[in-house]
Amino acid sequence: MSDKYIIQIKNLTKIFGNGVEIKALDGVDLDIVRGEFLSIIGPSGSGKSTLLNQIGILDTPTSGTILLNGVDVTKMSDKERSRTRNKELGFIFQYHHLLPDFNALENVMIPLLISGIKSSQAREVARKVLDEVGLGDRMKHRPNQLSGGQNQRVAIARALANKPSIVIGDEPTGNLDSKASDNIYELLRQLNSEHSQTFILVTHDEGMAAKTDRIIRLVDGRVAENSVNFG
Amino acid sequence: MFELDVATRHIKSRRRQTLFSIIAVAMAVGIIIVFMSMMSGYMSILIDSTIENQAHITIMPKEGEDYIHLYHGLENHIYRQEGVEAVSSYFQGEAALQHKHNAEGVLLYGINPEDEKRVVNREKYILAGEFTSLENPGGRIILGYKLANNLDVEMGDSVKAQIPGAKPTDFTITGIFQTGTPVDETMAFTNIERLQDLYGVGNVVTGMGVRMSDAYVADDLANEIDRETGYDAVSWIEQNAKILNMMKTSEMMVYVFYIIIFGISGFGIANVLIMIVMEKVGEIGMLMAMGTSRRSIMLIFLLEAGILGMVGVIIGCILGYAASLAIASIAIPIPPEMYSGMNHLPVVIELKNFITAGIFAMVINIIAGVFPARRASKMDPVEAIYSV
Repeated sequence: MSDKYIIQIKNLTKIFGNGVEIKALDGVDLDIVRGEFLSIIGPSGSGKSTLLNQIGILDTPTSGTILLNGVDVTKMSDKERSRTRNKELGFIFQYHHLLPDFNALENVMIPLLISGIKSSQAREVARKVLDEVGLGDRMKHRPNQLSGGQNQRVAIARALANKPSIVIGDEPTGNLDSKASDNIYELLRQLNSEHSQTFILVTHDEGMAAKTDRIIRLVDGRVAENSVNFG
Repeated sequence: MFELDVATRHIKSRRRQTLFSIIAVAMAVGIIIVFMSMMSGYMSILIDSTIENQAHITIMPKEGEDYIHLYHGLENHIYRQEGVEAVSSYFQGEAALQHKHNAEGVLLYGINPEDEKRVVNREKYILAGEFTSLENPGGRIILGYKLANNLDVEMGDSVKAQIPGAKPTDFTITGIFQTGTPVDETMAFTNIERLQDLYGVGNVVTGMGVRMSDAYVADDLANEIDRETGYDAVSWIEQNAKILNMMKTSEMMVYVFYIIIFGISGFGIANVLIMIVMEKVGEIGMLMAMGTSRRSIMLIFLLEAGILGMVGVIIGCILGYAASLAIASIAIPIPPEMYSGMNHLPVVIELKNFITAGIFAMVINIIAGVFPARRASKMDPVEAIYSV
């Protein structure tokens, strides 16, 4: 095992269904370098989101292993998976999934509170992160008082709050217009260079993918292309 | 504790529904507290009137004997026992009372009125005449008012008593009593010495009543007297065991209804929680993605059930208290045959009823929360997140 790779995926297979079986992932091998800004693309049904959910330890594979910092996450207990998600992973989904009854600041505080950090300390961290994503003046706003792009920024701040080593995004700009979408991309890129965290984005936006360090193209649950961009 | 924070926000986000579920719990708790207060009221009235109108301990002859001989010695012995306030010996016999063409069988009690009224407050129930008139060993008698009606006699009238083995004797009515119990139809008092003479059995008694300062230790003393003297001593608790047990059984039955009422209010809470869980699927998925354990998810919804239940219980206790006070203050005429001298529904407001109802409601509400909470905690985070 090398310290170079933050994630090492070996022969990962995921089969859905109990009558008609669907092979969503079919023997995927993939190594991800620490600090990489990587995109996973492919047609719908190619297994992009399934792969991302495996990396995010939200789902369990049918077979194969995923080493996260050298530890096989497929053998973890439910509790360990929860703890690892909280400490090591940040999630951004297409829909922001902010808690509607909490304001922006409180939403960003949640992963910190889950990890057991004191509320006063969490508040301070959350404030900083919200400043970083450019929402320092919207902290007391609730999700329904913010625009789509702003909500997605809050979701990004929330994903970053616990300083995870990996941030995964499933179509993080899928709900936004192209301008907001570009802004979000720039923000993610900037955060990646500042914090040297690993970013893995699933997207069907080829233009955005082209701007990432590496493109993984999935077709029918297999890695069809693994190309490094030398932008 | 972010679980509590999430729980309270959920509740606040569904104000109307949570309000209704709280009202349901509050009404259930309130109604049950009123029921319990009334049950306590009836129970205490029953026990109070029993303690008041009955000797706390009744001592009867030894097994196989008809009389207590040399009873003054036994009286003195009992007087020396701790907690004994008064002792009254009596001679009881059956007799037929006759006035003109009316005749009624009665239990005739020969007593010493000074002793007797210290054991049982007979004077309280005297409608006419004086209880102490029986001090005179002449032929005086005090009857229950129904017995008097049946014989068609009034104060000052004379009745003829037929006692087995004695010639008919005239008694003058010097008092009429009304207790509101069946004894009004079957009991008569007279002077003890007079009755002993009529029966011609000498200076003996058929029993002895004892009054104690604390009626609730009567059982212990009765057992002790029983053991030490060999006389058959029975406490009021033992004498009324049947009715006391019956009240306990009926209390158990009432608890079944309590469970049903609380169960219905519990469904209200379960309903709100199921709705919240369904509405918050994506949120639950996201909380899991952020590392919230299944236990914490469960806790969030159990806390919601707990908070709704707690608010309901507090409001219910206030409602129950107010309603009990209101019921206690309304004058409702009650027929004297049921409970003599009462003109209010008996309501006793006891802290223990509030605690029982509160704990009861909370337990059922938490149980109601378990199903939705489990459902939330068992969600698959991937399905939950992508369901939106």
